[in-house]
Amino acid sequence: METGFTEAYKKMSEEGNETDCEKVAGILDLVIDGEASSEEQYFFNSHIEECVPCFESHQKQRLLKSIISGHLKRVIVPERLAHSIKTRIQETV
Amino acid sequence: MSEQTGKQLSKEEKDARFEAELLPVLAPLYNFAYRLTLDEDDANDLVQETYLKAYRFFDYFEQGTNAKAWLFRILKNSFINEFRKKSKQPAKVDYSEVEGYYNTDDVEGEGGVASTSDMRTESVQDLIGDEVASALNALPVDFRTVIILCDLEGFTYEEMAKILDIPIGTVRSRLHRARNSLKEKLEEYAKSMGYNS
Repeated sequence: METGFTEAYKKMSEEGNETDCEKVAGILDLVIDGEASSEEQYFFNSHIEECVPCFESHQKQRLLKSIISGHLKRVIVPERLAHSIKTRIQETV
Repeated sequence: MSEQTGKQLSKEEKDARFEAELLPVLAPLYNFAYRLTLDEDDANDLVQETYLKAYRFFDYFEQGTNAKAWLFRILKNSFINEFRKKSKQPAKVDYSEVEGYYNTDDVEGEGGVASTSDMRTESVQDLIGDEVASALNALPVDFRTVIILCDLEGFTYEEMAKILDIPIGTVRSRLHRARNSLKEKLEEYAKSMGYNS
């Protein structure tokens, strides 16, 4: 089946026997972290439009990242810390 | 007449710049220290040490460049040095050489920040937060580190490579393994709560 994404895949892939799903899995983190090149991003988007397992693993990975950035509590900085830093600096110079 | 050379700041100028550029990073830096050490006193010491070093080497810091990444790098290095001392590893072992070897002795400790508050009054959000925190704290420190830098602090791969002194390829593979391992832990939890993926 010759679709847009297989063309895109052929254009950029040098790796020969890697399947599209493997390739998508390999760049999943890049996509999630906003580090993918525009070609990678395009290839990725085209593939997950047609591939349910890859679409789902993308959803999962994105959820994981958003849970960490959204739900992980920040610890409160002790009140005295900034003051102790300044004091120690003045003592040592 | 003010001196513009950067290397020849008066003490007042240096102090003012130091406070303006580096102290705003205090909260994320303390959080990073806490997630590394899992101990408030150790985090406190580590952050103080980091700022003392930063002050000493402030002449090498280029104004307007990434202060946050610079401080995180200093803190990470201080942590490694402390860690070496405590675990009596030979000092000449470079961090890149222990890639692939994960010391798990330090991760058992506390139960992280998951607390004993009444389950019924806790919101679902808190519950998720606590569970994520303890799953994260149970990861080996190298894995914990990349997840914090990337997902919590939003550093780019390139910044992470500089902070950790490792190639970008290693950042990527470590992050990948860290996430897999975190996912496993959270999936176990989801199953124990009766959810299936």
